[in-house]
Amino acid sequence: MTAKNSEMEPLLGVEIAGIRMKNPVMTASGTFGFGEAYTDFFELAELGAVVIKGVTPEPRIGNPPPRLAETSAGMLNSIGLENPGVEKVLGEYLPSLEEVGTSVIVNIAGSTVEDYCLVAERLSASKVVKGLEVNISCPNVKAGGIAFGSKPEMAAQVIRAVKKHTSLPLIAKLSPNVTDITEMALAVEEAGASAVSLINTLLGMAIDVRTRKPKLKNVMGGLSGPAVRPVAVRMVWQVSQVLKVPVIGMGGIATAEDALEFILAGATAVAVGTGQFVNPRCCPEIIAGIKAYCEENEVSAVAELVGAAWKEEARG
Amino acid sequence: MKYHVPQALVAGHEQTGRGLFFLALNAPQITQAAVPGQFLHIRCGKGDDPLLRRPISICRVDKEKGNVMLWYQVVGKGTSLLSQVRRGDCLDIVGPLGRGFEPVTAGKTVFLVGGGVGSAPLVFLGNELAPEKEVVAFFGGASEEMLLMPCLTRLENCEYATDDGSFGYPGTVIGLLEEQMKGKMPDILYACGPQGMLREVVRIAEENSIPLQVSLEARMACGVGACLGCSFPRSKKSGGGWARVCQDGPVFWDWEVAWDDGEEQ
Ligand SMILES: Cc1cc2nc3c(=O)[nH]c(=O)nc-3n(C[C@H](O)[C@H](O)[C@H](O)COP(=O)(O)OP(=O)(O)OC[C@H]3O[C@@H](n4cnc5c(N)ncnc54)[C@H](O)[C@@H]3O)c2cc1C
Ligand SMILES: Cc1cc2nc3c(=O)[nH]c(=O)nc-3n(C[C@H](O)[C@H](O)[C@H](O)COP(=O)(O)O)c2cc1C
Ligand code: FES
Repeated sequence: MTAKNSEMEPLLGVEIAGIRMKNPVMTASGTFGFGEAYTDFFELAELGAVVIKGVTPEPRIGNPPPRLAETSAGMLNSIGLENPGVEKVLGEYLPSLEEVGTSVIVNIAGSTVEDYCLVAERLSASKVVKGLEVNISCPNVKAGGIAFGSKPEMAAQVIRAVKKHTSLPLIAKLSPNVTDITEMALAVEEAGASAVSLINTLLGMAIDVRTRKPKLKNVMGGLSGPAVRPVAVRMVWQVSQVLKVPVIGMGGIATAEDALEFILAGATAVAVGTGQFVNPRCCPEIIAGIKAYCEENEVSAVAELVGAAWKEEARG
Repeated sequence: MKYHVPQALVAGHEQTGRGLFFLALNAPQITQAAVPGQFLHIRCGKGDDPLLRRPISICRVDKEKGNVMLWYQVVGKGTSLLSQVRRGDCLDIVGPLGRGFEPVTAGKTVFLVGGGVGSAPLVFLGNELAPEKEVVAFFGGASEEMLLMPCLTRLENCEYATDDGSFGYPGTVIGLLEEQMKGKMPDILYACGPQGMLREVVRIAEENSIPLQVSLEARMACGVGACLGCSFPRSKKSGGGWARVCQDGPVFWDWEVAWDDGEEQ
């Protein structure tokens, strides 16, 4: 469907898990701190939603440095879910996000099912939080994290358990480090997730040939950035065709064209992580670029583009 | 306030020694906002490789011309690309970033101790403090061509040390500092350079009970405190855990840092 009246502003709004967003662009967890780091570069209110860093019941110190290594068109990180713990997040960080003019989604993590439930229950007490992104896919934590993210029945177990402790919508964040991503996605949907986010980082490593040692102290870490984009697009394409709930696509998005690629592959919204490190105004530029694309192509609402690539293909 | 200047004009770029370059960028907002010890985060290439920005300390500012000046060494992919930009080109920069040096009010005598390109942020500091304080800079390098000379530092009292003895004091900047401190004690020390050198300055400061601030380095991704990638261990006294070099630093008091847990770099 194309707009009859090209003078009309394209509708950029989308809805994810009952959360209405003014545009489909959000921040990727762990790349935006608690929302304070980029305020000199743009207003948080410009974003569709803000997703803040992974939160655990107790403070977590994370992994020792070096935690970063650059690779071709990408980067490895082994932060290890460093965070101040749910109580401090509730007391110190969330209140400052109360009137930011966009939806706040909190990423939650843990080593046991009980950890996830506890964090979810505590965060439900905050009126700032509009949804929870359940990180069952962190490659940097030995116990839990990826263990939940690589077995469908365990992923489903986490979502089912968390659901009993909160009425907030749950977004399951999936790991790409699996053989069949659709199996994982179907399992969490069945368990009650209202949306899925993909992808988290790909497990990788890099070695310094001069010192003959791994570049990360933790040896392995998560790969993000443009290098992972084709993997992420493929997974969004596969998952969005089998799920009823919406998909949030991420992995190497740096421009409006990248974001549109994910939307056409089936993502209802997109998140930007590493791209922000390179261009701190990446998010607002992407939003403007999506709008311009809609105008140029006489698309009346961005929602019409979701999955257009596979819909097109099915039509032949 | 931090600024993103996607098109900062290269106002000057000259080689000062082997693999060493002095770069002037036009970014008036940044020159107004910057304090010594802060850095710029520079996109060295145009494409995805190298992907991340590179942190380079501000070496001097010219507020009238609106120029911010850097002194850097080519060590890899990013700095090598940077060395190819020419006057008239534009660079994508973010800054000023980080917590800079804390100027002291008490005391008159300030010693700056710089190793290699670590001298860069101290040059800015020295120029800011010079009108009021007695500033003596001690800069060390491998050889004469690795030093930043007074024509570019604009500092009156620069003492140099070279490993090969080709200029100034023959030996390390630590040797030079210890020699000078036999005659005169500073009220405060500021240092930047390789970890090994910094540890020596920490020792000297402790032995003589002189306050010390150091500028540290770490690999960075965001440069603005968002990713928690640039961690450096904090001392128990300052709360333990990790400090973010980009946002909590790069300048720290010596007692804020857990030196024994730091990675040798
Ligand atoms: C706050 C801060 C201020 C800085 N100021 C200056 C400055 O004023 N002048 C200057 O010349 N340099 C400065 N540096 C260092 C500079 O950022 C690095 O040399 C640069 O990032 C290297 O990029 P590259 O792509 O050329 O090297 P790469 O190809 O990334 O690496 C080449 C080699 O250098 C090593 N290396 C790279 N970056 C660092 C680092 N940050 N610490 C230790 N080893 C590293 C790598 O391990 C590798 O062996 C500063 C760093 C920080 C954190
Ligand atoms: C430094 C860093 C920290 C991250 N921390 C988290 C986290 O705490 N929780 C999480 O679910 N994902 C985390 N991620 C993954 C990102 O949210 C995102 O899924 C991934 O980086 C791919 O997107 P990108 O290529 O745009 O960065 C982190 C990524 C990076 C680079
Ligand atoms: S580089 Fe991201 S927190 Fe310092």
